[in-house]
Amino acid sequence: MESRNTNFLQFLKMKISSPLTILFLLFLLQQTLLSAMADLQLIKNTCKGTPSSSLCLKILLADPKSQNADLTGLALIGVDAINNKGLEILKQIVALKESRPELGPVLDHCAEVYLAVVDADVLSSRDALRTGMAKFAEQGMADSAVEAQVCEGSFGEHGHTSPMLGSNNAMIDVANVVRAIVHILLYG
Amino acid sequence: MASSSDLENPNASSALPYSYTPLPDGEQTAEPAVVLHPKKAVAFLVCAFLSVGFLVALIGNNGPLAPKNLNTNVAPSTVATTAKTTPLSRGVDKGVSEKAFRPLLGADNSFPWSSNMLDWQRTGFHFQPEKNWMNDPNGPVFYKGWYHLFYQYHPDAPVWGKIVWGHAVSKDLINWRHLPIAMETDQWYDEQGVWTGSATILPDGQLVVLYTGSTNESVQVQNLAYPADPNDPLLINWVKYPGNPVLVPPPGIDDKDFRDPTTAWKTPEGKWRITIGSKINKTGISLVYDTEDFKTFELLDGVLHAVPGTGMWECVDFYPISKQTENGLDTSVDGPGVKHIVKASMDDDRHDYYAIGTYDAYKGKWTPDNPTLDVGIGLRYDYGIYYASKTFYDQNKNRRVLWSWIKETDTEASDISKGWASLMGVPRTILLDKKTKSNIIQWPVEEITALRTDATVFKNLVLEAGALVPLNLPAASQLDIVAEFELDEATVQRLNGADVAYDCAQSGGAATRGALGPFGLSVLAHDGLVEHTPVYFYVAKGVDGNLKTFFCADQSRSSTATDVDKSIYGNIVPVLKGEKLSMRILVDHSIVESFAQEGRTCITSRVYPTKAIYNNARLFLFNNATAATVTASINVWQMKSADI
Repeated sequence: MESRNTNFLQFLKMKISSPLTILFLLFLLQQTLLSAMADLQLIKNTCKGTPSSSLCLKILLADPKSQNADLTGLALIGVDAINNKGLEILKQIVALKESRPELGPVLDHCAEVYLAVVDADVLSSRDALRTGMAKFAEQGMADSAVEAQVCEGSFGEHGHTSPMLGSNNAMIDVANVVRAIVHILLYG
Repeated sequence: MASSSDLENPNASSALPYSYTPLPDGEQTAEPAVVLHPKKAVAFLVCAFLSVGFLVALIGNNGPLAPKNLNTNVAPSTVATTAKTTPLSRGVDKGVSEKAFRPLLGADNSFPWSSNMLDWQRTGFHFQPEKNWMNDPNGPVFYKGWYHLFYQYHPDAPVWGKIVWGHAVSKDLINWRHLPIAMETDQWYDEQGVWTGSATILPDGQLVVLYTGSTNESVQVQNLAYPADPNDPLLINWVKYPGNPVLVPPPGIDDKDFRDPTTAWKTPEGKWRITIGSKINKTGISLVYDTEDFKTFELLDGVLHAVPGTGMWECVDFYPISKQTENGLDTSVDGPGVKHIVKASMDDDRHDYYAIGTYDAYKGKWTPDNPTLDVGIGLRYDYGIYYASKTFYDQNKNRRVLWSWIKETDTEASDISKGWASLMGVPRTILLDKKTKSNIIQWPVEEITALRTDATVFKNLVLEAGALVPLNLPAASQLDIVAEFELDEATVQRLNGADVAYDCAQSGGAATRGALGPFGLSVLAHDGLVEHTPVYFYVAKGVDGNLKTFFCADQSRSSTATDVDKSIYGNIVPVLKGEKLSMRILVDHSIVESFAQEGRTCITSRVYPTKAIYNNARLFLFNNATAATVTASINVWQMKSADI
């Protein structure tokens, strides 16, 4: 038994140390490296076509799925980022309703528009990207940016300073980046 | 997930495995240093050369992408603050403050969109379902005495989603009866959506429908469906052919680039032929299939037509038009007195383009009369919001009728508040323009005039340069306006021409004055013009003395709301010697359809005023030219609402 194992191990060692095997393993390694580099290349090239390549890279690289994603997959990661940001902002609105009751009506309006982002724009954009109807995803991302602007503008229209400037601007920036990714998908 | 502070500082450097500098072509990575025996060194070097070669090839193909211009008409204007001012409003001359619109602090807690304002937006005579989302018209057909319209419908929300076929019928293309959903997403081959399709009536009267299904795996396939009871004129129930799908994406065509089959037409061999839009790389194409039974198909070599750089062709339409007569033609008609139109909806820019050309029935190919005005790069059906359109031959009245989807240009939040999104344009007849021969003319179907009631007529109003005339009307939200204009010849003659380019979209709209324009009508206008939507002609005289006429619809001051699209749409319109300038405008709440020179140039706009609504909507006539006097004659009809 032992001698058979030993023979087997010796057989393996021989095979591994042979030039052909090394060639094959190096080829595999090279293919894996190339594949990973190609995906990173796709991410980098895609992000260059957006208004903020650093924000784009941040969003995409934060999601491990981006490593093996095609352009549609990258766009879907972007839509997820919109969704996450939108949910985060909705939580912020709930907290503000408590700490700043005088802003109640404006905050309600902000909640309304962010619900449109999360309930309508995000869901529609995901369906659109998955089925090859990217133009509806571009519409959804464009709308998300406008909804954020509507929320931000509502404070001023009612004589208040916005406590959500950072969040609204963040949503606008992310939406513009993701819209650009979808645009690249559409225009090829 | 990135923290919010990171998102607030998008320029902060991030930790990346590679330093982020722009990648020149051919950048190479350093080779790892490895010590090997000679034999293995050779093997390694061979590998290394292979890998380097592969890397170079890869990077060479993935060169840096140029930043894309995001300036499309898809989304509402992203400029949040400009709508507060009303530059150059006529109101200033009349003593109305430029800053009339400023909500009193604390006094007005209502946000821009009250339910009053949103309710007003619903149209009086444009087809729309009771609620939720609609897009492309499908399978329009006249069958057993009824006009049928099917449409892409999302029953769950006022936004696109899993789509089914909505259905409605009409006797006159104007008054509609809504029917149950015709086809649901109940098969694996249309589980993600019962998408766009067309109807064909066979010589024996049978009706068949081909439509695109988005399968459970999001592959785009073509399916056959037919009425469950062909004797039911309302075509309520439908059967999907058990052998579906009848077509799947052919080799070389992506699973998601294969949709919207056309109405079929007869080939010289007596078979049926359809075309389906697609793309190869960035070239938009139209594939051709022949069939004898709508169940098995033969893909023809090549394509009906292709235009590089135009991207995916959606909703392709292909039909004959007569060179001589003033009626439409059945889709199968061919012959010396006939031209053929190829039309496609460009996925990339969301516009519908068409071209006139010649069809070779034996080869299954079509060639444009003017390749510089080819499909996707030349003429559009409409220079505003108008997409996914489709024609059908109406054998009832021997005309070719065009339907189109008109989306919203407000925010999704507003659509959710009001509970609906999208309209169909008023159906239009299509004919070859017998005078220019290089474009079609479109005109609202004649049945729409049955909605006209009280007429107000203005004859030969003389408008000096800079004139603004309110037209006294009982109401101004549902109107059919026909207007004729004449520039004073003397000024036109004496004017020195200049070759200054004019483009409606970049012009600044009706407030930008030239010697010979703009002049026209301002619809959905408020007293003081705090809100108004000018539809106008702008005439430019070139250095050679020739006149060019532009026709524009200007939404830039259409609303004090900041979350609606404020684009200006339009195009040049051919005007022949001796022709007066004429326009027709259908005003129907949040949609305005404008036609110049009997339908040579058409513009559909969505307008969402907050003040110029109900009793406060007005109509103004204006001449904002600096030099010329304009004489105008106008008929304005109030429009009744249709049953929809």
